[in-house]
Amino acid sequence: MEQELKKLKEDFERDLAEAKSGTELETLKVKYLGRNSRLAELFSQIPALSGDQRSFWGRRLNQVKKDLAAAWEKATGSTDGQQESLDVTFPSSAVNSGSRHIISSTSQKICLIFQKLGFDIVEGNEIEDEQHNFEALNIPLEHPSRDAFDTFYLNLAEKNNGKYLLRSHTSPSQIRVMQKNKPPLAVISPGRVYRPDVVDATHSFMFHQIEGFAVDTEINFSQLKGVLLCFAREFFSQDVNLRFRPHFFPFTEPSAEVDVSCIICKGQGSKTKTQGKRCSVCKGKGWLEILGCGMIHPKVLEACAIDSKKYRGFAFGMGVERIAMLKYGIDDIRLFYENDLRFLEQFSL
Amino acid sequence: MKFSLNFIQEFLKVNLPPEQLAKKLTMAGMEVEGFEKSGSDWIFNIEVTTNRHDWLSIAGIAQEIAAILGKNLRIKSPQDKKQPLLLERKVIIESNQDCSYYLGRSIKGVNIGPGSQKIQSLVVNCGLASINNVVDITNYCMLKWGNPLHAFDQDKLEGNIYVRRAKKNEFFIGIDGKERVLDKENLVIADSKKIIALAGVIGSKNTEVDDSTKNIFLEAAIFSPLTVRRSRRRAGVDTESSYRFERRVSPEYLEFASQEATRLIKEIAGGVLKGVTKAGQKPKISPKKINISLNGLETYLGVKVPEEKFKTIIASLGFKFQAKAKGQYLLFPPLQRFDLIREVDVYEEVSRIYGYEKIPPQIPFLRKAMDSRVVDRGKDIYRFNSELADYLARLGFKEIISYSLQGREELGSNSTLLGIEIINPLRKQENSLRFSLLTGMIKSLGHNLNRSQSGLQFFEVAHIYLNDRKGFSELPALALGRSGKEDEFFLLKGAVEKVLQYASVQIFEFREEKLPFFSDGLTILSKGKVLGFLGKLDQETVKRFSLKEDLFFAQLNLEELAKISGEKRYKPISPYPAVWRDISIALKKQVSFKEVEEVIKARCKHLVDLRIVGFYQGKNIPAQTTAFTLRIFYQSTDKTLTAQEVDIFHNDARQALSQIKGLELR
Repeated sequence: MEQELKKLKEDFERDLAEAKSGTELETLKVKYLGRNSRLAELFSQIPALSGDQRSFWGRRLNQVKKDLAAAWEKATGSTDGQQESLDVTFPSSAVNSGSRHIISSTSQKICLIFQKLGFDIVEGNEIEDEQHNFEALNIPLEHPSRDAFDTFYLNLAEKNNGKYLLRSHTSPSQIRVMQKNKPPLAVISPGRVYRPDVVDATHSFMFHQIEGFAVDTEINFSQLKGVLLCFAREFFSQDVNLRFRPHFFPFTEPSAEVDVSCIICKGQGSKTKTQGKRCSVCKGKGWLEILGCGMIHPKVLEACAIDSKKYRGFAFGMGVERIAMLKYGIDDIRLFYENDLRFLEQFSL
Repeated sequence: MKFSLNFIQEFLKVNLPPEQLAKKLTMAGMEVEGFEKSGSDWIFNIEVTTNRHDWLSIAGIAQEIAAILGKNLRIKSPQDKKQPLLLERKVIIESNQDCSYYLGRSIKGVNIGPGSQKIQSLVVNCGLASINNVVDITNYCMLKWGNPLHAFDQDKLEGNIYVRRAKKNEFFIGIDGKERVLDKENLVIADSKKIIALAGVIGSKNTEVDDSTKNIFLEAAIFSPLTVRRSRRRAGVDTESSYRFERRVSPEYLEFASQEATRLIKEIAGGVLKGVTKAGQKPKISPKKINISLNGLETYLGVKVPEEKFKTIIASLGFKFQAKAKGQYLLFPPLQRFDLIREVDVYEEVSRIYGYEKIPPQIPFLRKAMDSRVVDRGKDIYRFNSELADYLARLGFKEIISYSLQGREELGSNSTLLGIEIINPLRKQENSLRFSLLTGMIKSLGHNLNRSQSGLQFFEVAHIYLNDRKGFSELPALALGRSGKEDEFFLLKGAVEKVLQYASVQIFEFREEKLPFFSDGLTILSKGKVLGFLGKLDQETVKRFSLKEDLFFAQLNLEELAKISGEKRYKPISPYPAVWRDISIALKKQVSFKEVEEVIKARCKHLVDLRIVGFYQGKNIPAQTTAFTLRIFYQSTDKTLTAQEVDIFHNDARQALSQIKGLELR
């Protein structure tokens, strides 16, 4: 074996001296140090040797291998005298990055703002029943107020709480929390909701909402305004304003729709600096509708066995897609669910 | 609803420019969606919310505008005039649940013609078509008072009038010319021979007023909102009349509407009132009483409304009131407002007229009980899921959101797995709830592969919906998807391990399993509990969705994962160096790597890691064989391992491996 090693070393040194180019050196490396090299062949004989011999030859071969490798390294260093320079003007390689979806990151951002104000985040289920989606929210069966909530019904055996359905808003979360917990409460609840709307640029049968509410003995409308204004300024910018317009929702009284001053024209509408040009985002109105809210209707509290004489609450709900569309200037709701890489990559958050 | 400003002027002088009026109405809750000029008139389009049936009349809108402008408007209720009874025709109401009151007037000797220009333009400006003098008058009165009226051609009536349910398969042709087959859901007006109207919805062609009509039977009635709603839904029609009945019409102005229509018909179309016939009872509205304290109002709103202001507002809204003790009032809401029942209803009325903008914003201090259990810290699934999603983004996965609905047979009709069915789907493609996040992943990847992308890496966190013997359930799940070549499988497997590591799951195993829709599959288990699975999508499914690359997919049950997720604890790092040894192996297909792994784990003391450092292909590698080099890392926590020590168990492992049939050391 020793002889063979000696021969091997000589051959290697000769070949190494003759090698000129980088390619020749590479071939040499494979020949002497590669998987099918004579050295590898020698290594493979080791397991067959007896104990003492085995460790001796093991060390010996490893030493040779190291020497050859070192010599080869040295040789490559010297031939690389004319080291090729890098053409740094080539384009960059693709760098893969992960990202959150713009809807979930928007939803999370919103929830965290409310969490800072003292709200707990609770998710509800999407499969709901008529009791929680409608009746407990003061939307009686076959009342015209139900027309605003077209709903998908599910083929599941009906139990005590009426037919099963896909929730058409996140408000049932409010009912679930109030039934299970005693006030004081302050909860924010995000999630998917469903309505049988034919899909187009502004409609989708699935979208996302965030519901928020607080119940305590001293809650009032002025606090509802404060909490929402605080949210809007934190989320959009410090200079936005809110406008509360009276409206009707069966589950709140008084109720309001809330507009934010247009984030593009800063609420100027048509009176922008470029004189007379109508703002295309708010259509010159200066305001954008972003959410609905109100003081929780006493009937809703009563449906959850909360004493409406003692406790009061406020509640609000907003659509995440709408807010994301306004904030990022997205004009087609379908983009959110298509998951086109060219869309996802614009929001590498 | 559209209203004409000229029409409003019949009740109330409004001098405000239309822009200002629109803004004031909107800010008080009557949202003006648009307004336009039409000749000398202004047409406003307003949104009527379901609680305000009174805004479906000009009288109601005028009352509202008066309140908003701070004016007083008193619309007096009419007196029932003594009028001759109509003996030749009786009205019979089958059920007073469906119709509580029916009032008919017989007017004879009319001339049908175009009628008055003034009435015509008011009707048209409120969005209705002008038909002829008599129909325009009935519409004018409906618009003005909110009570729908209907005029029949009396000569086409045979016998008495019946208010009854339709029989199954009774036939009806409306004045819109459409034919409908009715059933007992439909309330109808009939004479002794035939149906003459779908009650409260639409009249029948057979008794329509036309150019040759001479004698009129004028109907005014109170129909049940629910009956009309069901009937018009069943008949598939929605009219100005049914819209009002569904939202409840006030009996207050019913007599007004009928009397005024009669008077106008006499004036404009000629004719004489021959008699009046009535059936049922005009519903008595008992005046409601609401006790209000100014203090209660202030604590509810968070603003003090001055007492004088409060009184002006409620008076302008048509409330009657009595002052009780200091700051206490007893309120009587106007009779035509059904929506004013409790204190909160008054709070809303006062605050919206006072102006929401006058309520100052305040930040509340949100009290919470110290032992609040709304969110149990240990089981905060929202936090777990969103932090996990952040982690996956850091791992280089892109989050997607795909539809929760899918076609029930999208993954094949013979599948034993079927999602919960939707009773009223929009399309067949979305007629069930998904039982797995797979289709969403396939579609999202497919969309991008068709746009020249490749090597994609997506994840989704969403609910799945299962329906089994125990009933249905809804679970949060995580899906990971990679598109690409064969060995991407192991990258995905690595990502799954990363997720388990992230969740501090110490003990887990992968078990080979045949999974539906996958050709190579592994179940992920921890202490006997199934956490999820991963696999390579089978070729049948790849073809079904025309995917341009192979798809590797994993799904984890996040509820289960969150449950077993442990706390992170620091593990000491060994100060002693690790030693590694390579073993090159050629493995026949019938032997699984698992056998190799088990031997190494059993024999190699101080084993800390093993990695594949290369796969080999070439002439020297026989078919059906995988050749690779395995690098084994040894490390002790209490000493430096010598080469000799490592060699002992390393060679022992080699020895044991060489005994495996179908394994060759190289």
